[in-house]
Amino acid sequence: MTQVAAIALNTFRETVRDRVLTVIALFALLMIVAGLWLGSISLEQGGRMMKDFGLVAVTAFGVIIAAFIAATLVRKEVEKRTVFVLFSKPVSRGGFVVGKFLGLAATLGVVVGGMGLFLFLMTLAVGGGASGMVLVATALIYLQVLTVVAVVVFFSTITSAILSSMLGLGVFVAGQLSHNVLSLSRIGAGAVTEAASWVVFVLIPNFSAVDVKAAAVGEQTVDWGAVALWGVYLVAYMTVALIGAAFVMRRKEF
Amino acid sequence: MRRALVALLAVACVALVVGYQVTRPEQAAGKPRVFVPSASFFEDFSPAFRTSIADAYYLYLVQYYGEHIKTDQRLDSVPDLVTLITDLSPRFVKAYQFGTFALLDAGEPGAAYELLKRGAEANRDDYHVPALAGFLVYAFGQGEDKLQIAADWYARAAAVEGAPAYLGRLAATLTAKGGEREKAALMWAQVYADGDKYSREKAVAALDELLPADPAERAAGLAALREAMPAERFDMLRDDLGVGG
Repeated sequence: MTQVAAIALNTFRETVRDRVLTVIALFALLMIVAGLWLGSISLEQGGRMMKDFGLVAVTAFGVIIAAFIAATLVRKEVEKRTVFVLFSKPVSRGGFVVGKFLGLAATLGVVVGGMGLFLFLMTLAVGGGASGMVLVATALIYLQVLTVVAVVVFFSTITSAILSSMLGLGVFVAGQLSHNVLSLSRIGAGAVTEAASWVVFVLIPNFSAVDVKAAAVGEQTVDWGAVALWGVYLVAYMTVALIGAAFVMRRKEF
Repeated sequence: MRRALVALLAVACVALVVGYQVTRPEQAAGKPRVFVPSASFFEDFSPAFRTSIADAYYLYLVQYYGEHIKTDQRLDSVPDLVTLITDLSPRFVKAYQFGTFALLDAGEPGAAYELLKRGAEANRDDYHVPALAGFLVYAFGQGEDKLQIAADWYARAAAVEGAPAYLGRLAATLTAKGGEREKAALMWAQVYADGDKYSREKAVAALDELLPADPAERAAGLAALREAMPAERFDMLRDDLGVGG
């Protein structure tokens, strides 16, 4: 347990110092500020525009950061051969994967949480009726981002860093469309196609089941039961992805 | 020497970049008919981003309206755009308000009324949409019972929790006999009270015509509108009409 915590802390320190992270985070903050300009051309709808486009910016940049940094987490240790030093100590391969994940999760907590808080304060300043829903939406975006991290960590154990990033981004996009895959499975083009579509539907994380952004702009009320269930689903999904990554790591020869 | 050359090259490139942009001819208005996908397309492909897409199209509608109303006056795609936005975001009240006036300018009062009926159904806890429907029926409706229908809409708006008291008075005024100019002024004043920038501009133009030209009578006519809006909006209207306090 202490080894996992040590790896997590070290990963946090390492990633939070990453210049790329700072640049992307600053760019995301700039995008949120750009919402002010959008507000000015929206006929007094600045608050709504800022919340809506701000949350899109938090999602997009959170996922980009997750995909590109998570892909290098495990691979960098392998390529630099620092993993040999680590595994010469009493550190399990599963503990290594979980530690890396938790470290990046902490970094992303700071980045995504910071962006969400900044957006909340901006909407408060613009006077668009800043609601706590912006913070709730940010928390759920964070869960999605962590799921992407888990998926990318899994891919990074079996393929290159750049391909892992691309696959991670692809999974995020596919997750927005997962319900369409289910529709495909019902078209009835053949038993094999149906079965394959169903398998893909189950494999792809369902990112579109809950839309808290709509609640943040007053479009709908939140079904907290559905949100909680979706949160549990995402946590279970990332756990499965991390177990998969640990399993692949165990079978690797170093 | 080398530094000076680099600096000169940089200045020349900056001049080229700026010069290229500032000498470009002003862009002509875009085509009046644009491709507008259906709401179900976006609901299928990005359900978690439907309000963001609605907002993006709302900004596009504002830009499209502003561009065409000033140039060719062709607003062919306004009905499709308004339908898309309100289908994706049925509780976007401002979209109904702006959409109504844009549809009126597009020569589609019937579509504007249908839009407000849908909006009122989707926003039963909001008084702006039924109040605007009351105005629309009063100002653009036809038939003998239009005043009663308009009054019913105002009464419906007044019944919404948190609705301002003047909406109930407007409903009563509409069904009272006589004073057509005063009634019209009151209805436009309500549009001014609830509207966005474009609606306010239209209301000011209408009130400018409806109120008497004589300064004293104009001030008296304006004072009668005080009850149709919050105090700060009334002060704004007084300034917009150039009537001294």
